[in-house]
Amino acid sequence: MHDKQFKKEMLAESARAFRAGRMDRRTFLALCGASGVAMNAVLAGDAEAAADHVVMWNWGGQSEECHGSAIGEAFTAKTGKGLKFDTSGPLEGKIKEMVDSGNVTADVADADLFNAVSLGPTGHLEPIDYSVVSKEKTLPGYALEYGVSIILYGYAFVYDTEAYGDNPPQNWADFFDTEKFPGTRALYKWANGSLEAALMADGVAGSDLYPLDMDRALNKIQSIKDDSLYWGSGSEVHSMVVNNEVSMAIIWQNRGRNIENDTDGQYKLVNNQAMAMPGAYIVPKGNPAGAAVMDFIATAQDIPAQLALLDCLGMTPSNPEAFDQIPEDQQPYAITSAMNIDKIVYNDPEWWGKNGGDAVNAFLEAIS
Amino acid sequence: MQALNRHIHTGWLIIAPLLLMVVALYLGPILNILWLSVTDPEPGFGNYAKLTEGDALIRIVWTTVRICIITTVFSVIFGYSIAYAMVHCHQRQKTYMLTLLLVSFWISILVRTFAWLMLLGRKGLVNVTLEDIGLVAEPIAFMRNELGVLIGMVHYMIPYAVLPLLVSMQSIDQRVMDASRNLGASGSQTFWRVYLPMTMPGLVASTLLVFILSLGFYVTPAVLGGGKVLMVAEYISVQLLVTLKWGTAAMLAAIMLFGVLAMLWIMSRFMKLSTVFGGAAR
Repeated sequence: MHDKQFKKEMLAESARAFRAGRMDRRTFLALCGASGVAMNAVLAGDAEAAADHVVMWNWGGQSEECHGSAIGEAFTAKTGKGLKFDTSGPLEGKIKEMVDSGNVTADVADADLFNAVSLGPTGHLEPIDYSVVSKEKTLPGYALEYGVSIILYGYAFVYDTEAYGDNPPQNWADFFDTEKFPGTRALYKWANGSLEAALMADGVAGSDLYPLDMDRALNKIQSIKDDSLYWGSGSEVHSMVVNNEVSMAIIWQNRGRNIENDTDGQYKLVNNQAMAMPGAYIVPKGNPAGAAVMDFIATAQDIPAQLALLDCLGMTPSNPEAFDQIPEDQQPYAITSAMNIDKIVYNDPEWWGKNGGDAVNAFLEAIS
Repeated sequence: MQALNRHIHTGWLIIAPLLLMVVALYLGPILNILWLSVTDPEPGFGNYAKLTEGDALIRIVWTTVRICIITTVFSVIFGYSIAYAMVHCHQRQKTYMLTLLLVSFWISILVRTFAWLMLLGRKGLVNVTLEDIGLVAEPIAFMRNELGVLIGMVHYMIPYAVLPLLVSMQSIDQRVMDASRNLGASGSQTFWRVYLPMTMPGLVASTLLVFILSLGFYVTPAVLGGGKVLMVAEYISVQLLVTLKWGTAAMLAAIMLFGVLAMLWIMSRFMKLSTVFGGAAR
């Protein structure tokens, strides 16, 4: 992944040099050849952000296609500007590195809202312009100075119906009860969602989670340590479930449908006490397209874009006006659908933005 | 000019650009990391002091070292056997063995890691077969634990262990062994007292290579360890990308660097390291 990033930066740099006449054509072509990239792709510059388009920094895979069809097309129709992608994944460290290096090539990052809390005050993000972006088109508390929640994803769990068919687990307390429900569990490696689930299992009410009682949460997690595995990516937990390695797994709720399909219904999604996570758009400081990116974010808030993201990526709308338009077949898998909205709890990005680093480390140390 | 030539060999002029590149591309970033480890988040040795506060970091370093030592021991033992077999079999078999070795050497680490999951996972080939023939009632937990990490790492490291040993064994004059037998030594005596000492430089080279490469393992522990086998490389990556504690990451990287340098220094007390790297013994 770093190789890819390095090559891309090198090529983008040399493309600039070539156009400015600082590099001759032959050298440029040789560089392109050496890194196995067709020159046109570089000249078009998927990393080259200029005024006539907005560069979205996301996680690749399906999201490239989905962000293009759900938001990009409407954005182009509205403003005449294009949408391009950097699919290398905007992890917090990469955003910081990009801004610190002074070579900002992305306009908007598909990140977490807690990233806005941790990176905003340190000067790595542009503030959101709420004269263009709407505070009403997201959940209350999820429109922050340096980031606005566009979609929600969630932490729910799946269980093996063959193991617990007659008496299925109902909530996090059951998830953490390995006596009543013997079997291996899979939890998220980077603490998020796993800590909240542990606290709810230990009897904390969903509305009183924050500030998280770390000791209590880690104790609960360590109580099932011998019966647990930890996953770092959606595909990893998917394979753990499909290969029957675990009998219950915390998953990103939008994966629920795929898992139910791939296991022919052997595993079933439980949305009770699921944790809604605000996925947010944030803007790296000094982004190349400037204020134009705010139009893009506003477009993503519109109901058609919100519903298209749900349809294409399984990401739940964060715009409350879209909640009652969630189609019937998506109801079980959309975290704010009428079917689920009364059962869920909400993540606090402020707490995670301020304490996330320490929490992840404490969690890693507890499970290793 | 001539006065200059007397003091500085003209050969340096040819080497100089490369030397500058090495300094700029290797020494620069390393110094930068060392600098980061004593300046981020605040100047001082706060990052290094973290090693003494609580046992978490020490435990991660210890896990890493332990896994690397076990990996090295097994890889070198297997590697030695394979290299020995390759040197002593017919040319045709040797070519086959070398081809197989190189093919596995060239396959991406990700593919090789996931292949083990397919083979030894809960629903993998081995477990399903064992269950089908009734040898075990429950699948054996080969993967998603430390055993899984070790299997994956040893498998990945064997080619690295074989290649230096192969070179070293090929350069040995076989007549020495004949002489040893001729002078009355038994087969095993010849091996332990004549052959093994002569392959020592290759043995040390492959041990060093395997151990140092193992220290940086990231993918295999992350995938095969089930999240519970946390090694330094993965921890550093989390500090860089997720928790933004770059100082801690730089400190751990520096510790690993100094650890390796210290190891090389200790070894240099006991032997001429230049022989390991292909130089002459004197």
